[in-house]
Amino acid sequence: MTLSVKWRGVLAAIVGLAAWAPVHAAGSVINPPPQAKDWAALASLPDWSGVWTPNITDQMRRVESDPVPWNKEAAAQIAKLDAAEKRGDPKGLFVNCLPESMPTWMLITHNALEFLFTPGRVTILGESDGNRLRRIYTDGRGHPDDPDPTFHGHSVGHWENDTLVVDTIAILPETYIAVSEAVGIPNNGDLHVIERIHLDKPDVLRDDLEIIAPHVLTKPWKTARFLFRQRARKYDIVEGVCLQGNYSEGKDASGNAVFVPVPQTEGGNYLPPADGPGKP
Amino acid sequence: MTIKRWPAVATMSLLGVLAWTIPAAAHHSFAMFDFSKTETVKGTVTEFRWTNPHVALLVQLDAKSGAAPEVWSMELTSPGNLTRGGWTRHSFKPGDRIELQFNPLRDGKHGGAFDQATFLDTGQVITSNLRAAEKPGLE
Repeated sequence: MTLSVKWRGVLAAIVGLAAWAPVHAAGSVINPPPQAKDWAALASLPDWSGVWTPNITDQMRRVESDPVPWNKEAAAQIAKLDAAEKRGDPKGLFVNCLPESMPTWMLITHNALEFLFTPGRVTILGESDGNRLRRIYTDGRGHPDDPDPTFHGHSVGHWENDTLVVDTIAILPETYIAVSEAVGIPNNGDLHVIERIHLDKPDVLRDDLEIIAPHVLTKPWKTARFLFRQRARKYDIVEGVCLQGNYSEGKDASGNAVFVPVPQTEGGNYLPPADGPGKP
Repeated sequence: MTIKRWPAVATMSLLGVLAWTIPAAAHHSFAMFDFSKTETVKGTVTEFRWTNPHVALLVQLDAKSGAAPEVWSMELTSPGNLTRGGWTRHSFKPGDRIELQFNPLRDGKHGGAFDQATFLDTGQVITSNLRAAEKPGLE
């Protein structure tokens, strides 16, 4: 059987409609357009404006004060990584530039972040190390029935007075629970993070974290992280693409501006051209 | 981190204070640098890479007599963090003559963690300290 071009088009349209129709018939969940009252309601939320820089000194202190309840198998692995770091031969957990992920971004970052409030959502934007972004839905939805695992997971939140309570699931099992850039192991699945984020002082934000990781921890790990508000414009978040560090700016044979690989150690340290395997 | 003009004596007196200002970075641990050792050398900047996640400063060290000149690579924190201390992508340019202070890689490779530099022609000292942001800044 042969069809004219015209009838092939009609047939394609019918097949297309058939494929589309069941999805449509099942009904899409609509995100309604925000109304003026929704924007106005944001004004009653606490002021988290500005850029927030982490208390790195306290991060390091809390490794001792809030020890991670690693299970036996995890503790043995952590001890080896800890020893390697202490003798100056650290295994870099993030040298591949994949995201630090949840909850490790909140636990070990040395970089700034900011919060955006829009109707039905809180968005956290970070600086450096690639794609640092958390979307926390505050529109009353729950988690999807079967969410795709991602680096930062699926987060829903609600306000309890001036505290944002965030529940995060569906985090990739391969992502680390880490106490430093060199000491941590994969969460191995079923990770669940509950956070209570609030102003501890007028310009100090506190994130109380409860990390439930049944495959590597014996009980939920409760710890906290603190951030300082910065209002000076020099703190405005700048772009930070982690993989850019693998390249320097150069020229190709045609004189185009191009990225040229730079030599690095296995641990991600830059080396001068004479030392490196990947001589630019 | 600040950029200020310090007389040499004042600079020396600051070294003890600066010793604890270990560069912090998110991309990788800094444990591969030996912070118990601080080396001070003179050299000429060959390249300043203002890139994430770690800014790099390449310096050709002044050759000891009879030796071939060597280029060493110094690592710093991110452009964002350095910007807050007053650095820019123009803080160094090729040809700058500096006295460099750094913590070397433990494995003996030609790299280190930047501690501070003094521009030899002006005496200007440039250093970095992430801990300076460990308090609210409202002005």
